[in-house]
Amino acid sequence: MGTQDRGDKGGAAEALSRRSFLSKGAAAGVGAAALTGAAATEARAEIKWDHTADIVIIGAGVSGLAAAITARDHGVSVIAVDENYDIGGRGILSGGRLHLGGGNAMQQKHGIKDTADQVYADWVRFDANAARYSDRDLVRVFADENVATYNFLVENGVEFIDRMIGPEAASTIPRTFVTVEWHVPSELIAPGRNRNGSGLVRRLEISARKKGAQIFLRHKMTKIIREQENSRRVIGITTMNGSNTVNIQARKGIIIATGGHTGNVNFRRTFDPRLTEEYQQACEPWVHQGADGELAAMELGASLWATAAQTREAGAAITKTRHIGCRWGYSSLVYQPESPMFRLARATGLTVEDWQNVIFVNQFGKRFWNEVDGSYNFFAACMAWHGDKSKLNGGGPIWAIFDADGAAREKWNTKPPNVDPDGYFFSADTIAELAGKIRNPYQKQAMPGAVLQETVARYNSFVTAGVDADFKKPTPLYKIEKPPFYVAWSTPILHDTLTGLHTNTNGEVMDIRGEVIQGLYCAGESQGGFAQHGLARCLTFGRVAARHAAGRTS
Amino acid sequence: MDTHSTAIELSEPAPAEVAAGTEVALKIKLRCAAGCELHSLPLTIKGPDDAAPTGATCHINDNGEIALKVLPKVGPQSFSVAFGPHEADDIRHEPCSLSLTVNAIPHGTSLAVWDIPSPIVKGERFAIKVGAKSAADAELKGLEIAIVDSSDTVVARGRLRDTPWPGTTALYWDEVELLAPAEAGLSRWSVRFAPASLALPHDGTSAEFTAAVVQRPEHRLTVKVIEQASKAPIEDVQIRLGAFRGATGPSGLAEVMMPKGHYDLQIWKAGYEAPARAVDINADLAVEIEATVLPEDNPDTAWTA
Repeated sequence: MGTQDRGDKGGAAEALSRRSFLSKGAAAGVGAAALTGAAATEARAEIKWDHTADIVIIGAGVSGLAAAITARDHGVSVIAVDENYDIGGRGILSGGRLHLGGGNAMQQKHGIKDTADQVYADWVRFDANAARYSDRDLVRVFADENVATYNFLVENGVEFIDRMIGPEAASTIPRTFVTVEWHVPSELIAPGRNRNGSGLVRRLEISARKKGAQIFLRHKMTKIIREQENSRRVIGITTMNGSNTVNIQARKGIIIATGGHTGNVNFRRTFDPRLTEEYQQACEPWVHQGADGELAAMELGASLWATAAQTREAGAAITKTRHIGCRWGYSSLVYQPESPMFRLARATGLTVEDWQNVIFVNQFGKRFWNEVDGSYNFFAACMAWHGDKSKLNGGGPIWAIFDADGAAREKWNTKPPNVDPDGYFFSADTIAELAGKIRNPYQKQAMPGAVLQETVARYNSFVTAGVDADFKKPTPLYKIEKPPFYVAWSTPILHDTLTGLHTNTNGEVMDIRGEVIQGLYCAGESQGGFAQHGLARCLTFGRVAARHAAGRTS
Repeated sequence: MDTHSTAIELSEPAPAEVAAGTEVALKIKLRCAAGCELHSLPLTIKGPDDAAPTGATCHINDNGEIALKVLPKVGPQSFSVAFGPHEADDIRHEPCSLSLTVNAIPHGTSLAVWDIPSPIVKGERFAIKVGAKSAADAELKGLEIAIVDSSDTVVARGRLRDTPWPGTTALYWDEVELLAPAEAGLSRWSVRFAPASLALPHDGTSAEFTAAVVQRPEHRLTVKVIEQASKAPIEDVQIRLGAFRGATGPSGLAEVMMPKGHYDLQIWKAGYEAPARAVDINADLAVEIEATVLPEDNPDTAWTA
């Protein structure tokens, strides 16, 4: 689910958080508090259902759209709701890379031999961080459904670039291919950036609507309604459409496809307490990833699952900011001025081609790591305690410092709309003066100018000598010496949600006692257990969940 | 006529230090004991030390603030903010006042040093650029800057030019010529700036810079960098051997003049890697480096056919 025109925090997750158990402490994250904090009793007989469908899907992103089509393919009625003003979720901003194998037609065309067994074997590898923490029951389902998911996409009009990529991640053979970008610029969220996932979700949207799925936009789920207090059966949801409350009855099932929790600071800190508020997340401000699906389900007693995957330190759960000097500089995503999100994003950022051109300093103006590193060691260094006595978790803002020569080498134009001078980019005539220019909501104290000057002078001496005596940056190349000088927001940005609700192999949500919550399903990034990056698991489990829900007795 | 007593108080503490000659915003409250609204009525500011009024009359703005002009001199300065008496609508508001002292401090200055050649050959002359900046953006043209060596001896002086360095707001600069030391090694200097003749008081400052001093290069090192798989030359690869550096051209070749010695040869180009290689320079030498392409690690990289 996504948002537009929303402030820094808030949204569904925060609203739920404020009135739910998590406001009392993130440590309750695995659901232990969920039963004691159970949702308020509803007088079920008094619920006025504004709409009814066999299956109700929360979220019209990749998994939600796949589920909606599958529901219609199985002859049941379906309503998908999304809080955003348009469909697509994070999928519309993705690169459109699909990781599907099993011997599908694309692989066959390119002479790549693959089987479901090989997919399974690869994605339960003990020697691959991306695979070792997954629930093998779910991986087996995913592997067995690879070809069917590929065929599903073809049948529903999704087009692919005729080329295979890989092997990637845990796969030992090429399984990645890319969808064709949507062709209508006005229907893109990040036009001009090869966000090929737009071609996936737009095609699925067309197919879903054509097959009779109803999609209610600007409907924000606020509650999942169960049959009775403490019942293990769900019967509908409450949404807010503007200021109107809209209750939607689900005769067979409710599928949570809300897209993960990365944007919910309190929730994400369940898995890693370091991930405090200064870390922004990819795809903001288009989507928030507020954990609203997870929280609503956990209020019913749902459990999380395979939480180790969230901190496995592989892949792109945390990423180096690629576009510096703006708030949201996720690597492959830039909101150009023609993007409908630009008004909120405010700047494109300066795209870094060579990290030799900058140094990183913490909020106190000190270097702390080798700038060309992008490993999890780098992220750990960013999130280390740098001496802020008022904030022990999280590392505070990370800033890139560079000079006029660095800007020239990178061919940067350091003016808006490339940078956001309202808190995320500053310039000055001297290094000492530069430190004093920083005004940012996450920078809680002034950066000492003398410290930054000393830091830069020391680094420049390393460049002179050709050796970084502090952090072993290989061949430190460029001094930071020529005015004017610049400081740009470069705090790591969060990406993947890699854990979520516990489901069985049908996608049915399990409670903390290991019992199915009848009628409640989950797919996509809100589902725990299979932490593969990207679109394929979302599509596959969206299909699986809808297929099973369609077969349930009303 | 009714008489109401009044009081002025700070609603936030005054800043402990204020740069001399600047305005400071004070958050204050003007109260009437009977609850009358007085904020639209004028106040009188006097000071320092009851000298001529510095602000004459003023009003509290919408943020609850008045502006206090600090004199352009360093040290404690006392002010009084006075109200009334004021009579209107059969009510007399009694006078009241607030006394406060602020400590005026000099404006800061800062320096930049750039275009420092490195390495430099021992005993040869070289030039650097030095710029000075006032935190108050004061005009610094004509002021002197001094360069001192590690023994604290002034080895060069410069005088800031008439116009700021291009692209800056008020960085006044000069180019200064220096003599490299007679000994090879990493040398350090400091730039010192002590402005004295400005209308506003300013603090002085200093900044350090370094340069590698080397023996005169006598041998030519030719480095060719190729891609390991394709054997194609790689352009724009940075070559480093300690303080010495070069960059490859379109044919993948770089030439670096070097003195005799043992060096670690390292290369750098984003997206490539190659291990460091030890080289001994005793004569002209040619080496070839094979670099490997680093895999793209971003799963969402933009990608088209």
